[in-house]
Amino acid sequence: MIDWSLFPPHILPRLRDHYAVKSMRRVPKLFGDTSDFTSIDYGDVIHVGDRYFLVVGYTKEGRFGIDEQPKQWVPKVYDLESGERKIAKLTFYETYSLTIGGLNVTCYRSPEKEAEVIELVKGNPHFMQGYSARDEAGNLVRVLDVIRGQRLDKYLADKGETHREYFEIHCKGMLVNFLESIRGISLLHAHGLKHGDIRRDHIFVDHEDGRFRWIDFDYDFYLPERPFALDLIGLGNVLLFILGRKNFRPADILGDPEMGPSIFATLDTGDLSLVAADRVFNIRKIYPYIPKCLNDILMHFAAGTPVMYDSVDEFHDDLAACLDSISSPGTEFNSVPG
Amino acid sequence: MARWEKILMAVDEGETSLRALRYVARIAASMGDVSLCLLHIYPEPPPDFYQRGGQIADYRAEKEKRAEIIFAQAERVLFEAGIQPGRVQRSIRPAEGRSISQVVLDVQKEGDFGTVAVGKRGVSKAEEFLFGSISNALARHSNGFTTWVVG
Repeated sequence: MIDWSLFPPHILPRLRDHYAVKSMRRVPKLFGDTSDFTSIDYGDVIHVGDRYFLVVGYTKEGRFGIDEQPKQWVPKVYDLESGERKIAKLTFYETYSLTIGGLNVTCYRSPEKEAEVIELVKGNPHFMQGYSARDEAGNLVRVLDVIRGQRLDKYLADKGETHREYFEIHCKGMLVNFLESIRGISLLHAHGLKHGDIRRDHIFVDHEDGRFRWIDFDYDFYLPERPFALDLIGLGNVLLFILGRKNFRPADILGDPEMGPSIFATLDTGDLSLVAADRVFNIRKIYPYIPKCLNDILMHFAAGTPVMYDSVDEFHDDLAACLDSISSPGTEFNSVPG
Repeated sequence: MARWEKILMAVDEGETSLRALRYVARIAASMGDVSLCLLHIYPEPPPDFYQRGGQIADYRAEKEKRAEIIFAQAERVLFEAGIQPGRVQRSIRPAEGRSISQVVLDVQKEGDFGTVAVGKRGVSKAEEFLFGSISNALARHSNGFTTWVVG
């Protein structure tokens, strides 16, 4: 017999009727203190702010090429008052060292920084939405709305049979949406905040309006002279992915029957990423129909660049100017239907 | 154009800074009406500083203590080169939300320094992109004053 007296009466109808609770053989536990998030299980209830959230699953770490691991500090929850699905991010501090281009950068997981970003971007359609509240132990919990959409990388995978078809029909729309979303990153920087983890799977494409929405802001870095450098690198990587729909390593090019040694032979070290020597940034050598101005932007992130971007605004302005120029009548993007 | 004999010298504990200081000392010693301000800037604490229980007052006190050692070493180099103590000033600034190079530029503007001197270490492009280069940033933003970059 479950002792329901632990829970306030106004949430009981939803709690008792939820499949997560009905299928349980134990009493749900109520957590007002989320410090030990590993002990919070499926079917338990988290109390934060004035709300009660039933744990109905866990989000997964979406790293590429690695089995997705459930993130116990990021449960999927059900608001027992409103009946809405939400995502709760519990306080989890970690510090680790990232190696980028042979250089070590210390990375910090910072709930406080994520809470600041969420507060700043309230109502901004280019960011995930939510709010932050402290649990009874003072842990900062972020309660996030679920985005009805798809990760950018998965979204692009379905567009077009061939790269040429994707590029001619879909790519321009992607770039326009990307450009708008860059303004969101610029807004963060103007307030001294970083996104912290700009990757192609940290953009969700909204099912309703197709807008790009940034997610996951809890990483922070210590780069006092170039605080936004990693965000810039992330944006360069996303642009490369939008244009190429995948990343190319020199070895991939050599092994691809459609490219092979003839394209591989044209590559030199200056064509590769400034910070990851196994990634080709000079994408026009792979797809010569990509407009030069787009390739020129990418080349700012290549090892051969004489000029680097100092700010996201510079990157944005170059992309905006390029999109303007290639949208003119008679240019590549407008010479195909769609 | 500001008076070029009014020199702002950025200093830290690194060897390149000391090398630049020696260079500046030799030039400044032969100048008649020189004035020199030693500037040390320290960055904000790392993101996990407060979470680890850090106190900003302690952080600043530690940075100021280190700056005293840097200034003392720098003054020794300048005085040995023959520069009069009355011609040397000290300034210590926290970065407080700005990059180090931005603070140097702000101090240059406030003090109307005609020359800014910094040391330069060799950095790769990747290093410059990620960690920045103060000397490159100063050289790029020099306007109405001269930057000496000593390699």
